Amino acid sequence: METMNNYNGIILIVDLESKECETEDLSEELLEKALGGAAVNMELYEQYKDRDPLILGSGFFTATFMPFACAGVITGKSPVTGTVAHVPFGWQTGVELKLTGFDFVVILGKSDNPVRLWLHDGLSDIDDSSDIWGRDTWESTDKIREAYGDEMIQTFLIGKAGENRVLSAQVSENYWGSRDKAGLGAVFGEKNIKAIAMRGLGALEVAEGFFQKCVELKNEIINGTIKGKAGLKDIAADLGMDSDIIEKLKSMTHRNNASFNCPYPYYTFLKYREAPDAMAMDGEPEPGCLVSDLSGFASLQSAGLDGPRAMEKCCRLGLDPTSAGMILKKQGASNLEALDKLAETGHDKAEAATCWDIENNNEKEISQTAGAFSAAVPPKGIFANQEESAQWWIHRQALSYVLGLDPIIMLMVPEMTDEKIVEFVQVSAEWDEFSLDDLKRITAELIEKSK
Amino acid sequence: MELKVEALKCTGCRICEFACNYHHDDSISPIGSSMMFYQEEKKNYYGMMVKRAKTLYLGRPEGEQILQPGEQIEGASASAKPILLRIACDGCGEEENGPVCIQACPYAVLSMEGE
Ligand code: SF4
Ligand code: SF4
Repeated sequence: METMNNYNGIILIVDLESKECETEDLSEELLEKALGGAAVNMELYEQYKDRDPLILGSGFFTATFMPFACAGVITGKSPVTGTVAHVPFGWQTGVELKLTGFDFVVILGKSDNPVRLWLHDGLSDIDDSSDIWGRDTWESTDKIREAYGDEMIQTFLIGKAGENRVLSAQVSENYWGSRDKAGLGAVFGEKNIKAIAMRGLGALEVAEGFFQKCVELKNEIINGTIKGKAGLKDIAADLGMDSDIIEKLKSMTHRNNASFNCPYPYYTFLKYREAPDAMAMDGEPEPGCLVSDLSGFASLQSAGLDGPRAMEKCCRLGLDPTSAGMILKKQGASNLEALDKLAETGHDKAEAATCWDIENNNEKEISQTAGAFSAAVPPKGIFANQEESAQWWIHRQALSYVLGLDPIIMLMVPEMTDEKIVEFVQVSAEWDEFSLDDLKRITAELIEKSK
Repeated sequence: MELKVEALKCTGCRICEFACNYHHDDSISPIGSSMMFYQEEKKNYYGMMVKRAKTLYLGRPEGEQILQPGEQIEGASASAKPILLRIACDGCGEEENGPVCIQACPYAVLSMEGE
Protein backbone atom coordinates (compact mmCIF):
# COMPACT_ATOMS: atom_id res chain seq x y z
CA MET A 1 0.00 0.00 0.00
CA GLU A 2 1.35 3.41 -1.01
CA THR A 3 -0.06 5.60 1.78
CA MET A 4 1.47 8.85 0.48
CA ASN A 5 -0.86 8.82 -2.55
CA ASN A 6 -3.81 9.38 -0.24
CA TYR A 7 -2.46 10.74 3.02
CA ASN A 8 0.32 12.85 4.51
CA GLY A 9 0.75 10.20 7.20
CA ILE A 10 0.24 12.52 10.18
CA ILE A 11 -2.30 12.69 13.03
CA LEU A 12 -2.24 15.89 15.08
CA ILE A 13 -3.11 15.68 18.78
CA VAL A 14 -4.13 19.00 20.31
CA ASP A 15 -4.34 19.26 24.08
CA LEU A 16 -6.38 22.33 24.96
CA GLU A 17 -5.52 22.09 28.65
CA SER A 18 -1.74 22.07 28.34
CA LYS A 19 -1.96 24.08 25.07
CA GLU A 20 0.40 21.65 23.44
CA CYS A 21 0.27 19.98 20.06
CA GLU A 22 2.05 16.82 19.08
CA THR A 23 1.95 14.50 16.12
CA GLU A 24 1.64 10.76 15.67
CA ASP A 25 2.22 8.72 12.54
CA LEU A 26 -0.87 7.60 10.70
CA SER A 27 0.02 3.94 10.54
CA GLU A 28 -0.57 1.58 7.67
CA GLU A 29 -2.23 -0.80 10.16
CA LEU A 30 -4.84 1.81 11.06
CA LEU A 31 -5.56 2.50 7.38
CA GLU A 32 -5.84 -1.21 6.64
CA LYS A 33 -8.27 -1.55 9.50
CA ALA A 34 -10.40 1.54 8.92
CA LEU A 35 -9.35 3.11 5.58
CA GLY A 36 -10.13 6.73 6.46
CA GLY A 37 -12.67 9.43 7.34
CA ALA A 38 -15.28 8.57 9.94
CA ALA A 39 -14.00 5.00 10.40
CA VAL A 40 -10.54 6.23 11.45
CA ASN A 41 -12.23 9.01 13.48
CA MET A 42 -14.12 6.31 15.39
CA GLU A 43 -10.90 4.43 16.19
CA LEU A 44 -9.34 7.65 17.50
CA TYR A 45 -12.53 8.56 19.36
CA GLU A 46 -12.42 5.26 21.23
CA GLN A 47 -8.71 5.64 21.95
CA TYR A 48 -9.16 9.08 23.55
CA LYS A 49 -12.72 8.63 24.83
CA ASP A 50 -12.04 9.75 28.40
CA ARG A 51 -10.84 13.20 27.25
CA ASP A 52 -13.99 14.26 25.40
CA PRO A 53 -12.37 14.16 21.96
CA LEU A 54 -13.47 16.11 18.94
CA ILE A 55 -11.93 14.68 15.80
CA LEU A 56 -11.48 16.14 12.35
CA GLY A 57 -10.78 13.54 9.73
CA SER A 58 -10.17 13.53 6.00
CA GLY A 59 -11.41 10.73 3.83
CA PHE A 60 -9.31 8.20 1.95
CA PHE A 61 -9.83 10.03 -1.38
CA THR A 62 -10.23 13.59 -0.04
CA ALA A 63 -8.23 16.08 -2.14
CA THR A 64 -7.44 13.54 -4.85
CA PHE A 65 -8.67 13.34 -8.46
CA MET A 66 -11.43 10.90 -7.49
CA PRO A 67 -14.69 12.59 -8.58
CA PHE A 68 -16.47 14.47 -5.76
CA ALA A 69 -13.72 13.72 -3.22
CA CYS A 70 -14.27 16.98 -1.36
CA ALA A 71 -15.37 15.77 2.04
CA GLY A 72 -14.11 15.21 5.54
CA VAL A 73 -15.88 14.43 8.81
CA ILE A 74 -16.00 15.89 12.31
CA THR A 75 -16.72 13.28 14.98
CA GLY A 76 -17.69 14.08 18.54
CA LYS A 77 -20.27 13.42 21.23
CA SER A 78 -23.49 15.20 20.38
CA PRO A 79 -25.01 17.18 23.24
CA VAL A 80 -28.37 16.66 21.52
CA THR A 81 -28.37 12.85 21.52
CA GLY A 82 -25.66 12.14 24.09
CA THR A 83 -24.07 9.72 21.61
CA VAL A 84 -21.40 9.97 18.95
CA ALA A 85 -22.14 12.03 15.82
CA HIS A 86 -20.35 12.39 12.49
CA VAL A 87 -20.75 15.68 10.63
CA PRO A 88 -19.57 15.63 7.02
CA PHE A 89 -17.98 18.84 5.72
CA GLY A 90 -17.29 19.87 2.15
CA TRP A 91 -16.99 23.12 0.19
CA GLN A 92 -13.19 23.70 0.29
CA THR A 93 -12.64 22.71 3.93
CA GLY A 94 -12.06 18.97 3.40
CA VAL A 95 -9.36 19.62 0.84
CA GLU A 96 -7.78 22.37 2.88
CA LEU A 97 -7.54 20.15 5.96
CA LYS A 98 -5.57 17.53 4.04
CA LEU A 99 -3.36 20.14 2.40
CA THR A 100 -2.38 21.53 5.82
CA GLY A 101 -0.35 18.34 6.21
CA PHE A 102 -2.60 16.86 8.91
CA ASP A 103 -4.88 14.01 7.90
CA PHE A 104 -6.62 13.74 11.27
CA VAL A 105 -6.80 16.20 14.16
CA VAL A 106 -7.74 15.02 17.65
CA ILE A 107 -8.77 17.85 19.98
CA LEU A 108 -8.72 16.94 23.66
CA GLY A 109 -9.99 18.62 26.78
CA LYS A 110 -11.07 22.19 27.24
CA SER A 111 -9.25 25.50 27.07
CA ASP A 112 -9.59 28.00 29.90
CA ASN A 113 -9.73 30.92 27.47
CA PRO A 114 -11.15 31.38 23.94
CA VAL A 115 -8.71 30.02 21.39
CA ARG A 116 -8.46 29.15 17.75
CA LEU A 117 -6.43 26.49 16.11
CA TRP A 118 -4.30 27.61 13.16
CA LEU A 119 -3.23 24.73 10.94
CA HIS A 120 -0.93 25.61 8.09
CA ASP A 121 1.78 23.89 6.07
CA GLY A 122 2.44 21.14 8.61
CA LEU A 123 2.44 23.56 11.55
CA SER A 124 -0.15 23.95 14.30
CA ASP A 125 -0.69 26.89 16.65
CA ILE A 126 -3.18 27.40 19.44
CA ASP A 127 -3.81 31.16 19.32
CA ASP A 128 -5.79 33.39 21.61
CA SER A 129 -9.17 34.19 20.09
CA SER A 130 -10.56 36.84 22.40
CA ASP A 131 -10.41 39.28 19.43
CA ILE A 132 -13.31 37.50 17.73
CA TRP A 133 -15.16 35.91 20.65
CA GLY A 134 -18.64 37.49 20.58
CA ARG A 135 -18.50 38.21 16.86
CA ASP A 136 -20.66 36.48 14.29
CA THR A 137 -19.27 33.91 11.84
CA TRP A 138 -19.11 36.41 8.96
CA GLU A 139 -17.06 38.97 10.87
CA SER A 140 -14.97 36.22 12.41
CA THR A 141 -14.11 34.63 9.05
CA ASP A 142 -13.08 38.04 7.72
CA LYS A 143 -10.98 38.77 10.81
CA ILE A 144 -9.25 35.39 10.72
CA ARG A 145 -8.35 35.81 7.05
CA GLU A 146 -7.09 39.32 7.79
CA ALA A 147 -5.09 38.21 10.84
CA TYR A 148 -3.29 35.42 8.97
CA GLY A 149 -3.07 37.40 5.73
CA ASP A 150 -4.72 35.00 3.31
CA GLU A 151 -8.20 35.19 1.81
CA MET A 152 -8.22 31.52 0.85
CA ILE A 153 -8.04 30.33 4.47
CA GLN A 154 -10.84 27.85 5.20
CA THR A 155 -12.45 27.78 8.60
CA PHE A 156 -14.66 25.86 10.98
CA LEU A 157 -16.08 28.27 13.49
CA ILE A 158 -18.95 29.10 15.78
CA GLY A 159 -21.17 32.12 16.25
CA LYS A 160 -23.17 33.31 19.24
CA ALA A 161 -25.16 30.07 19.46
CA GLY A 162 -22.02 27.97 19.91
CA GLU A 163 -20.48 30.41 22.36
CA ASN A 164 -23.67 30.21 24.40
CA ARG A 165 -23.65 26.40 24.07
CA VAL A 166 -27.14 26.35 22.69
CA LEU A 167 -28.20 22.86 21.61
CA SER A 168 -29.08 24.05 18.10
CA ALA A 169 -25.61 25.52 17.66
CA GLN A 170 -23.81 24.50 14.52
CA VAL A 171 -20.19 24.45 13.46
CA SER A 172 -19.99 26.69 10.40
CA GLU A 173 -17.78 26.28 7.34
CA ASN A 174 -16.58 29.84 6.64
CA TYR A 175 -19.69 32.04 6.36
CA TRP A 176 -22.13 29.39 5.28
CA GLY A 177 -23.21 26.97 8.00
CA SER A 178 -22.77 23.23 7.64
CA ARG A 179 -24.46 19.86 7.91
CA ASP A 180 -24.11 19.89 11.68
CA LYS A 181 -27.47 18.84 13.10
CA ALA A 182 -25.84 17.34 16.18
CA GLY A 183 -25.01 20.50 18.13
CA LEU A 184 -21.24 20.16 17.67
CA GLY A 185 -21.19 23.97 17.64
CA ALA A 186 -22.01 23.78 21.35
CA VAL A 187 -19.09 21.35 21.81
CA PHE A 188 -16.77 23.94 20.24
CA GLY A 189 -18.23 26.50 22.70
CA GLU A 190 -17.79 24.14 25.64
CA LYS A 191 -14.15 23.62 24.70
CA ASN A 192 -13.68 27.37 24.20
CA ILE A 193 -12.65 26.91 20.57
CA LYS A 194 -13.92 29.76 18.48
CA ALA A 195 -12.42 28.55 15.23
CA ILE A 196 -10.14 26.20 13.37
CA ALA A 197 -8.38 28.01 10.52
CA MET A 198 -6.68 26.00 7.78
CA ARG A 199 -4.42 26.79 4.90
CA GLY A 200 -2.11 24.38 3.24
CA LEU A 201 -0.04 24.13 0.17
CA GLY A 202 0.81 20.48 0.64
CA ALA A 203 0.82 17.83 -2.08
CA LEU A 204 -0.15 14.19 -2.50
CA GLU A 205 1.52 11.77 -4.84
CA VAL A 206 -0.52 10.31 -7.70
CA ALA A 207 -0.37 6.67 -8.79
CA GLU A 208 0.33 5.86 -12.42
CA GLY A 209 -2.91 5.85 -14.43
CA PHE A 210 -5.08 7.19 -11.60
CA PHE A 211 -5.70 10.62 -13.16
CA GLN A 212 -6.91 9.09 -16.44
CA LYS A 213 -9.22 6.67 -14.64
CA CYS A 214 -10.73 9.54 -12.68
CA VAL A 215 -11.30 11.59 -15.84
CA GLU A 216 -13.10 8.63 -17.42
CA LEU A 217 -15.31 8.13 -14.37
CA LYS A 218 -16.04 11.86 -14.17
CA ASN A 219 -17.11 11.81 -17.86
CA GLU A 220 -19.37 8.83 -17.19
CA ILE A 221 -20.94 10.69 -14.26
CA ILE A 222 -21.53 13.99 -16.06
CA ASN A 223 -23.18 12.14 -18.94
CA GLY A 224 -25.30 10.03 -16.60
CA THR A 225 -28.25 10.82 -14.35
CA ILE A 226 -27.11 14.33 -13.40
CA LYS A 227 -26.79 15.52 -16.99
CA GLY A 228 -28.57 18.84 -17.54
CA LYS A 229 -29.29 19.37 -13.87
CA ALA A 230 -27.77 21.86 -11.45
CA GLY A 231 -28.34 23.59 -8.14
CA LEU A 232 -30.57 22.99 -5.16
CA LYS A 233 -33.68 23.78 -7.19
CA ASP A 234 -33.39 20.58 -9.25
CA ILE A 235 -32.79 18.52 -6.12
CA ALA A 236 -35.81 20.11 -4.41
CA ALA A 237 -37.96 19.40 -7.48
CA ASP A 238 -36.80 15.77 -7.63
CA LEU A 239 -37.58 15.31 -3.94
CA GLY A 240 -41.06 16.70 -4.53
CA MET A 241 -40.60 19.64 -2.15
CA ASP A 242 -43.00 22.57 -1.94
CA SER A 243 -43.35 24.68 -5.09
CA ASP A 244 -42.76 27.84 -2.98
CA ILE A 245 -39.32 26.56 -2.08
CA ILE A 246 -38.47 25.67 -5.67
CA GLU A 247 -39.71 29.03 -6.95
CA LYS A 248 -37.73 30.96 -4.38
CA LEU A 249 -34.57 29.06 -5.22
CA LYS A 250 -35.14 29.54 -8.94
CA SER A 251 -35.84 33.25 -8.80
CA MET A 252 -32.94 34.16 -6.52
CA THR A 253 -30.13 31.95 -7.79
CA HIS A 254 -27.02 33.91 -8.69
CA ARG A 255 -24.70 31.00 -9.52
CA ASN A 256 -24.56 27.32 -8.65
CA ASN A 257 -21.20 26.51 -7.13
CA ALA A 258 -19.45 23.20 -6.59
CA SER A 259 -17.32 21.91 -3.77
CA PHE A 260 -13.82 20.80 -4.68
CA ASN A 261 -13.81 18.45 -7.69
CA CYS A 262 -17.60 18.01 -7.68
CA PRO A 263 -19.47 17.29 -10.90
CA TYR A 264 -22.81 18.51 -9.50
CA PRO A 265 -22.94 22.14 -8.27
CA TYR A 266 -25.53 22.31 -5.50
CA TYR A 267 -24.06 25.11 -3.36
CA THR A 268 -26.54 27.70 -4.52
CA PHE A 269 -25.79 31.37 -4.01
CA LEU A 270 -29.00 33.35 -3.51
CA LYS A 271 -28.90 37.09 -4.06
CA TYR A 272 -31.48 39.33 -2.43
CA ARG A 273 -29.68 42.62 -1.85
CA GLU A 274 -29.00 43.04 -5.55
CA ALA A 275 -30.26 41.51 -8.77
CA PRO A 276 -29.46 37.78 -8.91
CA ASP A 277 -27.94 38.21 -12.37
CA ALA A 278 -25.51 40.97 -11.26
CA MET A 279 -22.03 39.60 -11.99
CA ALA A 280 -19.74 42.60 -11.52
CA MET A 281 -17.28 43.06 -8.66
CA ASP A 282 -18.76 46.36 -7.53
CA GLY A 283 -22.16 46.63 -5.90
CA GLU A 284 -23.29 45.23 -2.57
CA PRO A 285 -20.46 43.87 -0.42
CA GLU A 286 -22.77 41.24 1.09
CA PRO A 287 -25.41 40.61 -1.57
CA GLY A 288 -26.76 37.28 -0.36
CA CYS A 289 -26.09 33.87 1.09
CA LEU A 290 -24.68 30.55 -0.09
CA VAL A 291 -27.17 27.79 0.68
CA SER A 292 -26.52 24.06 0.61
CA ASP A 293 -28.85 22.82 3.37
CA LEU A 294 -32.27 22.17 1.82
CA SER A 295 -33.80 20.83 5.03
CA GLY A 296 -32.76 24.01 6.87
CA PHE A 297 -34.09 26.22 4.11
CA ALA A 298 -37.41 24.36 4.04
CA SER A 299 -37.72 24.45 7.82
CA LEU A 300 -37.27 28.24 8.00
CA GLN A 301 -39.72 28.77 5.15
CA SER A 302 -42.22 26.54 6.85
CA ALA A 303 -41.93 28.65 10.04
CA GLY A 304 -43.10 31.62 7.96
CA LEU A 305 -39.66 33.23 7.60
CA ASP A 306 -38.09 34.38 4.35
CA GLY A 307 -35.81 31.40 3.66
CA PRO A 308 -32.79 33.22 2.14
CA ARG A 309 -32.54 35.98 4.76
CA ALA A 310 -33.27 33.62 7.63
CA MET A 311 -30.53 31.29 6.33
CA GLU A 312 -28.10 34.20 6.43
CA LYS A 313 -29.14 34.98 9.98
CA CYS A 314 -28.67 31.36 11.07
CA CYS A 315 -25.28 31.23 9.35
CA ARG A 316 -24.14 34.39 11.13
CA LEU A 317 -25.34 33.15 14.50
CA GLY A 318 -24.06 29.62 13.92
CA LEU A 319 -27.54 28.11 14.38
CA ASP A 320 -28.80 24.94 12.74
CA PRO A 321 -31.62 26.27 10.52
CA THR A 322 -33.60 23.04 10.61
CA SER A 323 -33.87 22.95 14.36
CA ALA A 324 -34.28 26.75 14.60
CA GLY A 325 -37.14 26.72 12.08
CA MET A 326 -38.94 23.96 13.97
CA ILE A 327 -38.58 25.75 17.31
CA LEU A 328 -39.80 29.06 15.89
CA LYS A 329 -42.73 27.32 14.23
CA LYS A 330 -43.77 25.89 17.60
CA GLN A 331 -43.38 29.29 19.22
CA GLY A 332 -45.34 30.93 16.41
CA ALA A 333 -42.49 33.41 16.02
CA SER A 334 -41.78 34.26 12.40
CA ASN A 335 -39.26 37.05 12.66
CA LEU A 336 -35.50 37.23 12.43
CA GLU A 337 -35.16 38.64 15.96
CA ALA A 338 -36.51 35.37 17.33
CA LEU A 339 -33.41 33.70 15.87
CA ASP A 340 -31.18 36.15 17.79
CA LYS A 341 -33.05 35.25 20.94
CA LEU A 342 -32.69 31.54 20.27
CA ALA A 343 -28.92 31.91 19.85
CA GLU A 344 -28.78 33.90 23.08
CA THR A 345 -30.89 31.93 25.49
CA GLY A 346 -31.30 28.57 23.82
CA HIS A 347 -33.99 26.12 24.71
CA ASP A 348 -34.30 22.97 26.78
CA LYS A 349 -34.06 20.46 24.05
CA ALA A 350 -33.12 20.73 20.38
CA GLU A 351 -35.89 19.68 18.06
CA ALA A 352 -35.13 16.43 16.31
CA ALA A 353 -33.92 17.47 12.89
CA THR A 354 -36.48 15.50 10.94
CA CYS A 355 -38.14 17.88 8.60
CA TRP A 356 -37.87 16.14 5.27
CA ASP A 357 -41.47 16.38 4.25
CA ILE A 358 -41.04 14.22 1.16
CA GLU A 359 -42.37 11.02 -0.28
CA ASN A 360 -40.75 7.66 0.53
CA ASN A 361 -39.30 9.16 3.63
CA ASN A 362 -36.83 6.83 5.32
CA GLU A 363 -35.97 9.32 8.03
CA LYS A 364 -37.31 7.41 10.98
CA GLU A 365 -35.68 4.13 10.07
CA ILE A 366 -32.40 5.89 9.29
CA SER A 367 -32.33 7.77 12.59
CA GLN A 368 -32.94 4.52 14.49
CA THR A 369 -30.18 2.64 12.68
CA ALA A 370 -27.65 5.35 11.89
CA GLY A 371 -28.56 8.43 13.89
CA ALA A 372 -24.89 9.42 13.99
CA PHE A 373 -25.02 10.38 10.29
CA SER A 374 -26.15 13.86 9.29
CA ALA A 375 -29.86 14.45 8.75
CA ALA A 376 -28.96 17.37 6.47
CA VAL A 377 -28.59 14.83 3.67
CA PRO A 378 -31.90 13.96 1.94
CA PRO A 379 -33.04 10.53 3.18
CA LYS A 380 -33.46 8.97 -0.28
CA GLY A 381 -31.88 8.68 -3.71
CA ILE A 382 -31.84 11.74 -5.95
CA PHE A 383 -32.45 11.80 -9.74
CA ALA A 384 -31.42 8.23 -10.43
CA ASN A 385 -33.96 5.50 -10.54
CA GLN A 386 -32.15 3.47 -7.92
CA GLU A 387 -32.79 1.56 -4.76
CA GLU A 388 -33.96 3.90 -2.05
CA SER A 389 -34.29 1.83 1.10
CA ALA A 390 -32.98 3.08 4.43
CA GLN A 391 -30.30 0.35 4.35
CA TRP A 392 -29.13 1.49 0.93
CA TRP A 393 -28.94 5.13 2.15
CA ILE A 394 -26.96 4.17 5.24
CA HIS A 395 -24.46 2.15 3.21
CA ARG A 396 -23.99 4.97 0.68
CA GLN A 397 -23.46 7.46 3.50
CA ALA A 398 -20.99 5.22 5.31
CA LEU A 399 -19.02 4.94 2.05
CA SER A 400 -18.95 8.69 1.58
CA TYR A 401 -17.96 9.36 5.22
CA VAL A 402 -15.05 6.90 4.99
CA LEU A 403 -13.82 7.78 1.53
CA GLY A 404 -14.34 11.57 1.65
CA LEU A 405 -16.94 11.62 -1.13
CA ASP A 406 -19.69 14.23 -1.07
CA PRO A 407 -22.62 12.58 0.77
CA ILE A 408 -25.34 14.24 -1.34
CA ILE A 409 -23.76 13.51 -4.72
CA MET A 410 -23.30 9.96 -3.46
CA LEU A 411 -27.11 9.65 -3.59
CA MET A 412 -27.25 10.87 -7.22
CA VAL A 413 -24.71 8.83 -9.10
CA PRO A 414 -25.28 5.10 -9.69
CA GLU A 415 -22.07 5.20 -11.72
CA MET A 416 -20.10 5.12 -8.43
CA THR A 417 -20.60 1.45 -7.57
CA ASP A 418 -18.98 -0.45 -4.69
CA GLU A 419 -16.94 -2.43 -7.22
CA LYS A 420 -15.67 0.77 -8.82
CA ILE A 421 -14.71 2.15 -5.44
CA VAL A 422 -12.66 -0.98 -4.70
CA GLU A 423 -10.93 -0.68 -8.08
CA PHE A 424 -10.09 2.98 -7.42
CA VAL A 425 -8.75 2.23 -3.93
CA GLN A 426 -6.53 -0.45 -5.48
CA VAL A 427 -5.19 1.84 -8.21
CA SER A 428 -4.82 5.02 -6.16
CA ALA A 429 -2.95 3.39 -3.28
CA GLU A 430 -1.27 0.68 -5.38
CA TRP A 431 -2.96 -1.77 -3.05
CA ASP A 432 -4.02 -4.86 -5.03
CA GLU A 433 -5.06 -6.84 -1.96
CA PHE A 434 -7.88 -4.45 -1.05
CA SER A 435 -11.19 -6.23 -1.67
CA LEU A 436 -14.93 -5.71 -1.70
CA ASP A 437 -15.09 -7.68 1.54
CA ASP A 438 -12.68 -5.19 3.13
CA LEU A 439 -14.87 -2.28 2.04
CA LYS A 440 -18.02 -3.97 3.35
CA ARG A 441 -16.37 -4.85 6.66
CA ILE A 442 -15.15 -1.26 7.20
CA THR A 443 -18.52 0.37 6.45
CA ALA A 444 -20.44 -2.24 8.48
CA GLU A 445 -18.17 -1.66 11.48
CA LEU A 446 -18.59 2.10 11.19
CA ILE A 447 -22.37 1.76 11.15
CA GLU A 448 -22.31 -0.63 14.09
CA LYS A 449 -19.97 1.51 16.20
CA SER A 450 -21.91 4.68 15.44
CA LYS A 451 -25.20 3.37 16.77
CA MET B 1 -2.50 28.20 -28.61
CA GLU B 2 -3.73 29.88 -25.44
CA LEU B 3 -6.05 28.59 -22.73
CA LYS B 4 -9.36 30.41 -22.41
CA VAL B 5 -11.90 30.42 -19.56
CA GLU B 6 -15.66 30.88 -19.97
CA ALA B 7 -16.00 32.16 -16.44
CA LEU B 8 -19.78 32.12 -16.16
CA LYS B 9 -19.86 28.38 -16.80
CA CYS B 10 -17.30 27.79 -14.05
CA THR B 11 -18.55 26.43 -10.72
CA GLY B 12 -15.32 27.00 -8.81
CA CYS B 13 -14.60 23.29 -8.28
CA ARG B 14 -10.85 23.98 -8.72
CA ILE B 15 -9.92 20.56 -10.09
CA CYS B 16 -8.35 22.19 -13.17
CA GLU B 17 -5.92 24.03 -10.91
CA PHE B 18 -4.85 20.78 -9.23
CA ALA B 19 -4.70 18.98 -12.58
CA CYS B 20 -2.31 21.60 -13.94
CA ASN B 21 -0.02 21.00 -10.97
CA TYR B 22 -0.13 17.29 -11.84
CA HIS B 23 0.96 18.11 -15.39
CA HIS B 24 3.94 20.12 -14.18
CA ASP B 25 4.90 18.12 -11.12
CA ASP B 26 3.17 14.70 -11.11
CA SER B 27 1.57 15.47 -7.74
CA ILE B 28 -1.85 16.81 -6.68
CA SER B 29 -1.70 20.27 -5.13
CA PRO B 30 -2.52 23.86 -6.09
CA ILE B 31 1.00 25.18 -5.46
CA GLY B 32 2.74 24.60 -8.77
CA SER B 33 -0.19 25.29 -11.07
CA SER B 34 -0.23 27.81 -13.92
CA MET B 35 -3.87 28.44 -13.00
CA MET B 36 -5.28 29.98 -9.88
CA PHE B 37 -8.80 30.25 -8.57
CA TYR B 38 -9.61 33.66 -7.12
CA GLN B 39 -12.67 34.78 -5.27
CA GLU B 40 -14.47 37.33 -3.16
CA GLU B 41 -16.39 34.69 -1.26
CA LYS B 42 -19.11 36.80 0.36
CA LYS B 43 -19.98 38.29 -3.03
CA ASN B 44 -19.83 34.92 -4.76
CA TYR B 45 -17.51 36.60 -7.24
CA TYR B 46 -14.98 34.18 -8.64
CA GLY B 47 -13.01 33.18 -11.67
CA MET B 48 -9.86 31.51 -12.84
CA MET B 49 -6.61 33.15 -13.83
CA VAL B 50 -3.92 31.68 -16.03
CA LYS B 51 -0.25 32.60 -16.06
CA ARG B 52 0.71 32.89 -19.71
CA ALA B 53 4.27 33.25 -20.99
CA LYS B 54 4.17 37.03 -21.21
CA THR B 55 0.85 38.05 -19.74
CA LEU B 56 -1.65 37.14 -17.05
CA TYR B 57 -5.07 36.06 -18.30
CA LEU B 58 -8.11 36.58 -16.08
CA GLY B 59 -11.33 34.74 -16.75
CA ARG B 60 -13.69 37.09 -14.92
CA PRO B 61 -17.46 36.76 -14.61
CA GLU B 62 -17.79 40.09 -16.46
CA GLY B 63 -15.54 38.95 -19.27
CA GLU B 64 -11.93 38.18 -19.94
CA GLN B 65 -9.02 40.48 -19.21
CA ILE B 66 -5.35 40.29 -20.14
CA LEU B 67 -2.81 42.00 -17.90
CA GLN B 68 0.63 43.06 -19.09
CA PRO B 69 3.65 42.76 -16.76
CA GLY B 70 3.47 45.37 -14.00
CA GLU B 71 -0.30 45.89 -14.26
CA GLN B 72 -2.25 45.52 -10.99
CA ILE B 73 -4.77 42.73 -10.44
CA GLU B 74 -7.91 44.56 -9.43
CA GLY B 75 -10.83 42.88 -7.77
CA ALA B 76 -9.10 39.52 -7.55
CA SER B 77 -8.16 38.68 -4.00
CA ALA B 78 -4.70 39.42 -2.62
CA SER B 79 -4.22 35.65 -2.37
CA ALA B 80 -4.09 35.59 -6.15
CA LYS B 81 -0.82 37.48 -6.36
CA PRO B 82 1.49 34.45 -5.95
CA ILE B 83 0.51 33.37 -9.45
CA LEU B 84 3.00 35.89 -10.78
CA LEU B 85 5.76 33.63 -9.48
CA ARG B 86 4.31 30.49 -11.05
CA ILE B 87 5.42 28.59 -14.11
CA ALA B 88 3.60 29.72 -17.27
CA CYS B 89 1.05 27.57 -19.09
CA ASP B 90 2.81 25.49 -21.74
CA GLY B 91 -0.41 24.30 -23.37
CA CYS B 92 0.28 20.71 -22.29
CA GLY B 93 1.79 20.11 -25.71
CA GLU B 94 3.24 16.75 -24.77
CA GLU B 95 0.22 15.32 -23.00
CA GLU B 96 -1.17 12.38 -24.96
CA ASN B 97 -4.83 13.27 -24.32
CA GLY B 98 -4.49 17.04 -24.57
CA PRO B 99 -4.44 19.70 -21.85
CA VAL B 100 -5.07 18.04 -18.51
CA CYS B 101 -7.01 21.02 -17.12
CA ILE B 102 -9.51 20.68 -19.98
CA GLN B 103 -9.76 16.94 -19.39
CA ALA B 104 -10.41 17.44 -15.69
CA CYS B 105 -13.04 20.20 -15.94
CA PRO B 106 -16.57 18.80 -15.50
CA TYR B 107 -18.29 21.80 -17.10
CA ALA B 108 -16.47 22.45 -20.40
CA VAL B 109 -15.34 25.86 -19.18
CA LEU B 110 -11.85 25.68 -20.65
CA SER B 111 -10.69 25.60 -24.25
CA MET B 112 -7.62 26.23 -26.37
CA GLU B 113 -7.74 29.03 -28.86
CA GLY B 114 -5.50 30.37 -31.60
CA GLU B 115 -2.48 29.03 -33.43
S1 SF4 C 1 -2.97 23.75 -20.62
FE1 SF4 C 1 -1.65 22.51 -19.30
S2 SF4 C 1 -0.11 23.92 -18.55
FE2 SF4 C 1 -1.76 25.17 -19.38
S3 SF4 C 1 -3.07 25.62 -17.64
FE3 SF4 C 1 -3.89 23.77 -18.60
S4 SF4 C 1 -2.91 22.09 -17.50
FE4 SF4 C 1 -1.75 23.94 -17.05
S1 SF4 D 1 -12.44 22.64 -13.45
FE1 SF4 D 1 -13.79 23.88 -14.73
S2 SF4 D 1 -15.55 24.35 -13.41
FE2 SF4 D 1 -13.90 23.62 -12.07
S3 SF4 D 1 -12.88 25.52 -11.45
FE3 SF4 D 1 -11.80 24.76 -13.25
S4 SF4 D 1 -12.75 25.84 -14.93
FE4 SF4 D 1 -14.12 26.05 -13.19
